[in-house]
Amino acid sequence: MVPAAEGKFLRRPGRHYHHTDASPCLPSPCSVIEVERYNKLYGDFAAVQDLSFVVNPGDVLGLVGPNGAGKTTTLRALAGILQPTSGTIRICGLDIATKSVEAKSRLAFIPDEPQLFDYLTVSEHLQFITRLYSVKDAAARIGPLLEELELTAKKDSLPTELSRGMKQKLAIACGLLHQPNVLLLDEPLTGLDPVGIRRMKETITGRARAGTAIVLSSHLLHLVEELCTRLLVIRKGRAVAFGTLDDIFATHPELAGQPLEEVFLALTGDGAPTAP
Amino acid sequence: MTGPASALRYLWVHSTWNRLRTQIKRVRNPRYAIAMAMGLLYFYWILVYNPRASSENGVNPFANLMNSGFALPLASGLLFFALARWWLFKGDKSALAFSPAEVQFLFPAPISRRGLVHAKLLRSQVAILINIVIWSVLLRGNAASAHGWQRAIALWLLFSTLSLHRLGAAIVRTNALEHERAGQRRSFLPAAIFVLMLSAVAYGVISQWPAIMVATEVGTKAVLQAVADSLSQPIAAWALWPVRALLRPVFAQDASTWLRLLPFSALVGALHYLWVLRLDASFEEAALEATQMRAELVKNVRTAGGVRKRSTKGKISRIPKLSALGRPEVAITWKNVAAAMRGTAWRAQTIVFLVGLMAFAIFTSTQSEKMADVFMAMSAGWGVMLLLFGPMGMRFDLRQDLPRLALLKAYPLSGARIVAAEIAGVTILHTISIWVLMVVPVTLFITNPSSFDDALQLPVILGAIALVIPAINALMFTLHNGAALLFPSWVRLGTEQRGFEAMGQSLLTMLATTLAAAVALVFPIGIAVLTLWLGSTLLGPGRILVAALLGASLLFAELWPVIFWLGSVFDKTEVTDVSTAQ
Repeated sequence: MVPAAEGKFLRRPGRHYHHTDASPCLPSPCSVIEVERYNKLYGDFAAVQDLSFVVNPGDVLGLVGPNGAGKTTTLRALAGILQPTSGTIRICGLDIATKSVEAKSRLAFIPDEPQLFDYLTVSEHLQFITRLYSVKDAAARIGPLLEELELTAKKDSLPTELSRGMKQKLAIACGLLHQPNVLLLDEPLTGLDPVGIRRMKETITGRARAGTAIVLSSHLLHLVEELCTRLLVIRKGRAVAFGTLDDIFATHPELAGQPLEEVFLALTGDGAPTAP
Repeated sequence: MTGPASALRYLWVHSTWNRLRTQIKRVRNPRYAIAMAMGLLYFYWILVYNPRASSENGVNPFANLMNSGFALPLASGLLFFALARWWLFKGDKSALAFSPAEVQFLFPAPISRRGLVHAKLLRSQVAILINIVIWSVLLRGNAASAHGWQRAIALWLLFSTLSLHRLGAAIVRTNALEHERAGQRRSFLPAAIFVLMLSAVAYGVISQWPAIMVATEVGTKAVLQAVADSLSQPIAAWALWPVRALLRPVFAQDASTWLRLLPFSALVGALHYLWVLRLDASFEEAALEATQMRAELVKNVRTAGGVRKRSTKGKISRIPKLSALGRPEVAITWKNVAAAMRGTAWRAQTIVFLVGLMAFAIFTSTQSEKMADVFMAMSAGWGVMLLLFGPMGMRFDLRQDLPRLALLKAYPLSGARIVAAEIAGVTILHTISIWVLMVVPVTLFITNPSSFDDALQLPVILGAIALVIPAINALMFTLHNGAALLFPSWVRLGTEQRGFEAMGQSLLTMLATTLAAAVALVFPIGIAVLTLWLGSTLLGPGRILVAALLGASLLFAELWPVIFWLGSVFDKTEVTDVSTAQ
């Protein structure tokens, strides 16, 4: 895999997996995330409908869609926070509904708004995660992780003493400490300064290179274009496109050569097609 | 009505209405419907049926208590010491707290700080009015008393003034914190007045100490009367006059007395109102920070639960170390223990409490045997109060964490383990808090062993109490956490303490949990009594320990399936159930 700085993943040729459209795709033996006909209803309202996709190790899947499209619901379902109304979600082959504890120990979910404990310092947050996820070599990991996220100087600070960006970094550090197979990121760059953004991009690509399957939800299309290997576009709870940009252009030839923003608007606008 | 005032009125009327509508809508859910039915039955029993059933000669027990000669002086003394907490310690800064949305919209808006203070006062009236209804019903039935509406007005003045006092104290304390020397100068006068009043009350008690000592030879009621008399001595009575002026119309026996006393109560209320407004003006004049800075301060006070997590020297409270490996749910218990230790200065309070109790126990044992007995009885009573009321205040459990349900649900733990871990932390801490009270009999025994009839039984009894307390605490915290988990739309979440204006609501909650606890305790108490009866010949004094052990074990055995059931409820609870509720 190529680091983000070397080129735009979505446009790199030869990154085809097991599908060429938004139809349900078949999991490969190495799929880490397998979503099959996932539906989520809130009363009569269908937040997500008939969603199927797979993510393989090293993949960075960009989850995009307009507000209210079902991105956060999908991410929360992948994290085992929401129970599917129907359909199955497997993490490393483990059904999140029936083997939730085992599945959750293999993933990390980092929400857009960092959720931290007011009364634990930065290093105590990491001790907490160490015990919670039974991280065996935590002592060796914590130092480099704090360094990587520029938190070393703040290790004895409480969350209320951290800036928004620092809080975000701490939430990310907590997510990375147990070296999950699956990393679920909801708007990971919110609140970060330019240096922090660059470091975060390196962190994401570095983890993907190490074989972590990453799902990244963001409205920042340039970030998605830069970091993601594939794209899942959701509109009104349904997948309207899935794959690399080349895959999407193959199913929507009228969009060929358009920048991602135009592709996004065409796929999610009022006149956009619903799921094929 | 001015623009901002009408905007605020619009905000709160519509927010209250929409919140109420959302809560009522929940009744469509069978769980909430059953709870609603049980709640209505409970309110009927406690507020309508029960006071009549338990009354004697048309006078209900609350009214009976109020008519006793020592009730008013003692109530004014207790209320005064409760108020002292806001001045002597760090103050109840949650009185100043606004919601994040209020901070975002109101603080940058063209509304003066005085306008915000008014808004805060008006908002507290909702809780006060509910409180008045509860207390008016609880205190009714006294044939000789004033009319219900007269008592309601007296209660309104009392709780509104207490609310003003809490807000004023919070402004003074925050001002001192924010502006350091300048703020401390401004807070000097009110603090000095309060210390002067405290000294006057202490003088009253000390000057009457011989009479109190004599009363200890007679009994508890005589001691209470002697203490009440000491608080009625001229200097102490003068110091307690503002508190007494507020309480007197509530205690009034007839309409003419009520009418005669009410102007004094109103005067104290009006003076408090003017004081808060004046404080506000000085706050405005002194404020150097921009509105946003102030908003940030209020926001920080809110997120910190009203307690600074670092000392003024920048030190942070030490917490027990968490080993890296072991049962993962222990991490959640550890996290809650850390929150309690840093959020409430639990360790410092426990140590002060322990040393204070020891010192007082030594002091009373050197005075007279009867006095030591009275002190031991008071400690036991305090222990029972802590068992019943404590779990409502110690909220570092699911009531703290449910607003972060998404985070909890992402952890690789089953719901039952999370629920058990959440309950364990507060149970451990609260158990230690109550165990501390046992230092009283131990100290009394060491200083004067001859005062105990059967010295051999003391360690057995203390051991039995030590065994029973964690089980009862676990039960009480399970009830509170269960209620929060089952009805997140109806139960208050978060760790903030409530003021006097919610005392009635707290009393009803305590009675409801006590009733539920009584049901859960039927079998454990039954087996303990049976063991005591059967073991009287075989086990000797050890039967007390065996009975306590069996009772506590049975209670834990009862809680076990309940925790698993609550765990399954946790697993099924949607994040939206909580987020829309709060």
